[in-house]
This record gives sequence, structure tokens and C-alpha cells, in this order.
Amino acid sequence: MKKLLEISLGVVTSVGGFLEVGSMATAAQAGALFGFQLIWAVVLGTICIIFLVEMAGRFAAVSHHTITDGIRERFGFNAFIWPLLATLLVNFLVLSAEIGGVAIAAELATGISFQWWALPVAFLAWLLLWKGTFGLIEKGVSTLGLITLCFVVAAVMLRPEWKEVAVGAVPSLPHHDTAKYWFMAVSILGASISPFLFMFYSSGAIEDQWDKSYLGTNRAIAGLGMSFGGTISVGVLIVAALVLGAHGVTEVDDYNQLPLMLIPIFGFWGFILFVASLAIACFGATLEVALQQAYLVAQGFGWNWGEDLKPRDDPGFSLVYTLTLFLAAVPIALGLDPLKLTIFSMALTAASLPLTVVPFLFLLNDDRYVGENRNGLVSNAAVIFVIAVGFVLAVVTIPLQIFGGT
Amino acid sequence: MQLLRDILDKQVVDREQVKIGKVDSLVAELRPGKPPRVIAIELGSIALARRLGSAPARWTAKLAARLSGKQQARPHRIAWNKVRDIGVDVEFDINVRRTRIFAWQDWLNEHVIGRIPGA
Repeated sequence: MKKLLEISLGVVTSVGGFLEVGSMATAAQAGALFGFQLIWAVVLGTICIIFLVEMAGRFAAVSHHTITDGIRERFGFNAFIWPLLATLLVNFLVLSAEIGGVAIAAELATGISFQWWALPVAFLAWLLLWKGTFGLIEKGVSTLGLITLCFVVAAVMLRPEWKEVAVGAVPSLPHHDTAKYWFMAVSILGASISPFLFMFYSSGAIEDQWDKSYLGTNRAIAGLGMSFGGTISVGVLIVAALVLGAHGVTEVDDYNQLPLMLIPIFGFWGFILFVASLAIACFGATLEVALQQAYLVAQGFGWNWGEDLKPRDDPGFSLVYTLTLFLAAVPIALGLDPLKLTIFSMALTAASLPLTVVPFLFLLNDDRYVGENRNGLVSNAAVIFVIAVGFVLAVVTIPLQIFGGT
Repeated sequence: MQLLRDILDKQVVDREQVKIGKVDSLVAELRPGKPPRVIAIELGSIALARRLGSAPARWTAKLAARLSGKQQARPHRIAWNKVRDIGVDVEFDINVRRTRIFAWQDWLNEHVIGRIPGA
């Protein structure tokens, strides 16, 4: 019974991590412009992240190391510094985009420009990290995050042709806007396979003191939780395709178009549901990315860390999330378009994947860390696949950014 | 046991399990006619910077000396004979509070973190 409760909590929590401004914006853009044709990218990204999250949890439960600790210890500082710098940069952009997402929700709700909301949002997130515990953040974010299920309800209520949805789950070549199509596919993959997600998950497993008895729980959480998140993303894509696309909005380049998505189904409540979903999903991600930034630095350099400690007992850790939050709010406060930043940072995330995923191949096959719980054939094949995708993405992202980007 | 594989870059904790840092470098003593012997580990930004090259090492040492005085221009050392256990972490039989290793954290607590309410 206790395990069942833990699994359901874990599943709900991972939705909080999965659905953020990136997956919402990329799914909405893809749905509006290409209908159901890019559903395969969401499905593929979800399968990849299931494998990576399961491995991150297994590594932490068996070896009692976070992924960050593992990379530094196994490869040495001189190799570790590259994934460290890349992830710090990518996380920073993603954090800025998430703060922007909350700020936009606040603008939609109040009419006051998003720029004014960036610093208050950062302050509120900081206050929760400063005073709150890991359990509070985990459970609070996840319970509120369930509101995003409204996209799945809306998608079902719109009665899509399920056969067409299934066809969209199979990759196909675009009929128009070829460069844009691939750029969207890359951004969707980047939004689904985010390094902060699996690195955060391994830190969480250590904070919750997992051991080998959690391996089954871990598998269930990774599989169910990420599928759950992927389902909501597909819901967003379907709604965008049927509502925005059908109304002739093919180019989502202004976030003011987004709340229209739910209005045909829920009326005025649709507007409120959209704003609440955007605000909560992005705020949850803001907390997680800011924490992950602090975990990364503290674990990389061996400082004391832990969200349950008082700031006085881990001053370095607390300083990192404090500085990160306020610095990441600055670009939004200066008026940088959050939607553009989101799409840009998702593509960059995809390009940074090889640096963080290649170590998985070594860590999860090393007897000294995982012993008999090392990777099987399927898991290794999945890692190699993600690495291959990552390398292709790293090479093509920059040109696509120029030719296909918004 | 292989030193570079199994010790370098591991988490270091003191006898109260407080996380001190990582094994940023190892100090060995060369003895005529006998195999070299590890006498200490080093930790801190200067030890790390030395691994990146001589230029980063010089800049970091200069910066450390400017920020916190001449005695901080060398990395922190913990004698190898204080090692108590090597597992997930390397545990040393010391109390980090009685060393200079946490000087920067104390400074941070006194001047920044401790001044914010609720710390």
C-alpha cells in the first residue's frame, strides 16, 4: 500500500517536471502548423526520457551517487567540466523561459505586461526554496500540476479522428515548410528529453534516500509518469491542431493566441484553465530547474547540499539557486520574448544532449557502481539511440535555427 | 585499488559526515629506492585549477590571494593517515570546522546568507 502511494505520488510528480513551457509551446506550435503529423516526435521523446529517467533512478538507488557525482568521479574533473558548463548554460536559458511562461500567464490574467512579473515570480520561487522542504515542493507542485489534465479532457471532447492521431504517431515526411517541420521536431525532442529532468530525478532519489528496494517503484514511476506527461503533451498538440489550425492560426508566434485553444470547448473557463495550467506547469518547472542548478554545482564541487537543510548549513548551495533565479529573471524583465526564448532553448537543449547522455553508457554498465543491476541490451540500445539522435541534433540544430527558427 | 580511478574526484566527508569537497588532487612522496607513497589529498579551487593547466592555476592562485590573503594561495591539504573509510565517500577523521576549508562558507554566511531573514 505504501509503495502504491509512493508510485502514484512519483507519477504525479514527474508530470510536474515533464510538462513545462517548452513542451506546451512546441506541441502547440507543431499542432497548429502541421496538424497531427508531429505526434511521433512527442512519442519518441517520451520513450527516450522514460529510459533515461529509469536509469538515473536506478543508478542513484544502487550506487548512492547522483548522476552528477557519477560523471565527475568516473570521468574526472577535466572531462566533467564540459557537461557542467553546457548544462549550466542550457538550464539557465530554460529557467528564464519558465519564468517567462509564468509571467505570460500573469499578464493574461491581469493585463499587466509580463516584464513586470518576472522579478516577482523569481522572488516567489526563491521564497519557496528558501523556506520550503523537498517534500513540500515535490507534493505541492505535483498536486496542482494535475490541472494540466484539462488538455487531455479537451482533446477527447473535440472528438478527433483517432485513426489520424495514430497515423501521426508514425514519422512521415512533411508536405510543406520542410525546414520548419524538422526544426519543430528537434524542438519537441529537446523539450521532452531535458537533462534537468533526469539529473533532478537522481538528486530526488538521493534526497528521498532510495536503496535497492526502490528499483520496482523507480521503474513504475519512470514508465507511468513520463507516459502520463507525454499524453498531456499529445493532448496540447491535438487541441492546437483542431482549434488553432482549424481557425486558420498556423503560425503561433504570439503567446496571446495560445489561450484561444481551450475557449471553444470550455468557454470562458477555458481561458482560466489555460492560464492556470500555464502558470502552474511553468512555476513547477521554475522550482525544479533552479534547484537542479544548485544541485549540479554543489554536487560537482562536493559542497553540502539538500533542500531540507537550512540555508546556513549549505550556504554555497543556497547562493547558487538565489543568484540563478534572479539572474534568469533579468532577460524577461528587460522584455525578451518568452516564446522565442523557449523555442530557442529547447533546440539548444537537444544539441547539448550528447554531453550528458554519453556518460550513461559508461556509468550504467560499470560493475563498481551498479553491479548486477547494470543495463540490459534494451536499455543500452535506447541510450545509444538517444546519443545518435543527440549527435544528429547537435549538428543540425544550428542550421535549422537559422533557416527554420521563428 | 587504483588511486586515480578509485580515489580522485570522490566525495570527501569529515567524521560528522559533513560534505567537505571532492578529492581534487593527490600528493605523493617520492622515496629513493622505494615506491612512491600518497601522503595527502588536496581540495579547493586552486587544486582544481592546476588540473586544467598552468595558466588557470596561476589566475586562480592570484585571485585567491587577493580575496583572502596570502595563506590561502595554496590548496587545502588533508593528511592521508587521517583516512578512516573509503566507500561511497572518502571519510577523514577530522572536524572540518577546525580547518580553514569552510572559510569561504563562513564568510558567505556572515556577509550574505545570514543577513537574509529565515536563513
